[in-house]
Amino acid sequence: MTVDVNKTDGPEDTPPAGPEALKAIPVRHPGRYVSAAIALAVLGAIVYAFAQAKKINWGAVPDYFFDDRIIEGVLNTLLLTVLSMVIGIVGGILLAVMRLSKNPVTSSVAWFYIWFFRGTPVLVQLFVWFNLGLVFEYINLGPIYKDYWSSFMTPLLTALLGLGLNEAAYMAEICRAGLLSVDEGQTEASHALGMSHAKTLRRIVIPQAMRVIVPPTGNEVINMLKTTSLVSTVQYVDLLKAAQDIGQNAGSIVEMLFLAAAWYLILTSIFSVGQYYLERYYAKGSTRSLPPTPIQRFKAMLPARRPKGVSA
Amino acid sequence: MTAMVKAEGIHKSFGPVQVLKGIDLEVQTGEVFCLIGPSGSGKSTFLRCINHLEKINGGRLYVDGELVGYRQKGDKLYELKDSEVALKRRDIGMVFQRFNLFPHMTAAENVMEAPVQVKGVNKAQARERARELLEKVGLGDKAGNYPSQLSGGQQQRVAIARALAMEPKLMLFDEPTSALDPELVGDVLDVMRDLAESGMTMVVVTHEMGFAREVGDSLVFMDDGVVVESGNPRDVLTNPQEERTRSFLSKVL
Repeated sequence: MTVDVNKTDGPEDTPPAGPEALKAIPVRHPGRYVSAAIALAVLGAIVYAFAQAKKINWGAVPDYFFDDRIIEGVLNTLLLTVLSMVIGIVGGILLAVMRLSKNPVTSSVAWFYIWFFRGTPVLVQLFVWFNLGLVFEYINLGPIYKDYWSSFMTPLLTALLGLGLNEAAYMAEICRAGLLSVDEGQTEASHALGMSHAKTLRRIVIPQAMRVIVPPTGNEVINMLKTTSLVSTVQYVDLLKAAQDIGQNAGSIVEMLFLAAAWYLILTSIFSVGQYYLERYYAKGSTRSLPPTPIQRFKAMLPARRPKGVSA
Repeated sequence: MTAMVKAEGIHKSFGPVQVLKGIDLEVQTGEVFCLIGPSGSGKSTFLRCINHLEKINGGRLYVDGELVGYRQKGDKLYELKDSEVALKRRDIGMVFQRFNLFPHMTAAENVMEAPVQVKGVNKAQARERARELLEKVGLGDKAGNYPSQLSGGQQQRVAIARALAMEPKLMLFDEPTSALDPELVGDVLDVMRDLAESGMTMVVVTHEMGFAREVGDSLVFMDDGVVVESGNPRDVLTNPQEERTRSFLSKVL
């Protein structure tokens, strides 16, 4: 049905436990040492070239690393990532269900949406949202809300709509693949028990589809985190914009780009760890026993503590 | 005895292919009714029509005196809503060739799922009942295992327990032992035999001629979408009247 995730250490890693262990001189691999040395040398040369570059003032990076403006940029980037993904995931599920529906109108509308939003660059979409005031002068929701479009369309809203609606098109395809990956026999068994369509979807199909949906969604989150850097073009102050602003004022443009890159790396690393545990959760029941987490593996490597009072 | 299932001239096509070409039969309440025949003869399709997993194209099909999938008013037929179909399926248990257990739930959760979600039984009660049913199929110690941790025979017995949890009045078995290793078949057949002795009405599509002979009350041999021969399993299996039945039996016995 699907790919088994987390297929790592099996029993073959345990040393052979026979009455007498075989003693043999292993084959030497001198080529491995040579290639390792070359790789390290190249890496060292690159690091050295950057470190000794006189035109880059490395001291500026730690100086501004926890600057208030940077931290605010980081928080804005995170906020935008999370909210855009929420719009993307909710919209994606909705579009996927619409595309799989038997109603030809709803499935065509979903198809058209995906065709449009996947077929145009997200940067172009951002600019279009930003300039939509040319089409709509006012926003008028009757007695509830009325304002000029330009004051309604804040940078945050522009960024959210641009990124979120674009993401929904991608998430729709991911969700659709997930729903289709669940064996039809599952739906039949559920229907045969008297469960409704909605309950079947919620209790039986979606939990199994999640195994297929989560890994690419993790990718999407990480992609989204980086794509948010585009919103500096619509005046939203994210991490990149904050770094650029500081760089221009302090005369350390390149340094601040390195700083931003470091922050992006930190954030994507944190998301990757979260994704790992989420995938484990949805692998429930798919493998006979889950492989240990890195933390569990690390603990297993430490010497076992002997209970007190027992001599070895 | 009254008829639990009554079929009158059932027709079913998949596109241009006619699978059922006019099936007439009656399953009496409390009997074990076996359907045999070569693959492609339409026996599984007919079974799936009984709980409306397949829609029939012609004829009338009744379960417990009520039309399956339709309502008749005057001389017009109205299709039932999905929710009405679901309501009727509560009373009909089904066991599949490929088990179709829910892989993300433990054995006990599989058995509890429908009573809790469909009938609104409270969880503690459902858990207790699931334990009893798993005990009954000989898997009392496997309640906490996921399907992937069970053998095929064990999975199929969990599937039977899952169907029984809804307290059906009719059980449908679609080749329940065909996907099993030979040495696991016996355990599943034992459970089905116990169920038959308890008086459950069962329609069984099977290739197990031994089971049909010992446990079956009626038997129908189907080929190419029609009923070729029917009667008492011991008579049909030992002394078939039709040439087609004879040639089929000579190949499988």
